[in-house]
Amino acid sequence: MFGTGIQLSHFAAMTLFALCVSVAFACLGRLTIAGRIKYALWSLALFLVIGVGIAWLMYPFSR
Amino acid sequence: MATDAPVIAKRNDMVPALALLAAIAAWAVPGLGHLLLRRWGRALFLFLAVGGLALAGYGMRGEIFGTHSSDPFGALGFVADACSGAFYFLPRLLEASGPDVSRAAGDYGTRFLAAAGVVNLLGVLDAYRIACGRKS
Repeated sequence: MFGTGIQLSHFAAMTLFALCVSVAFACLGRLTIAGRIKYALWSLALFLVIGVGIAWLMYPFSR
Repeated sequence: MATDAPVIAKRNDMVPALALLAAIAAWAVPGLGHLLLRRWGRALFLFLAVGGLALAGYGMRGEIFGTHSSDPFGALGFVADACSGAFYFLPRLLEASGPDVSRAAGDYGTRFLAAAGVVNLLGVLDAYRIACGRKS
């Protein structure tokens, strides 16, 4: 179906992962629609900010 | 009021069976357990989340672990992958070229597939708890 495979950048893969996991956490962890949207957005933002933050912290050790 | 007692007792006897059915359905097809319990929103978004992770994992040519792994991490990988239910049995359909973990994308895909299983396991536990009446 996908042939030789999808080519995603590291950031795109991280964003897709964060989006799917945030949606799952929100729908399992909150009961109301407003609560779910708020939780999913917060979770997505934290995934991305912490992911990029850890990448910057590791940057001096990459060379 | 006394006549209600056998009905309530019978209903309580059915709860474990219903909870088990919901859990098995939730494992087999992500979201199906919630669908049986009439939690439409959870069913839809759980299916989209687990399906999105699994399809992206297959698209990136991630590896699905088999039943007979030689190391403990392979066994853990098998448990995580198998928790994604129907998506565990799709690699022949979706990954005709086979896994390719020689590239970074293939390695990410392996993590996506494991994450799909773990997220679905959370859904299974959630469906079980709802069916038991421990969660609304």
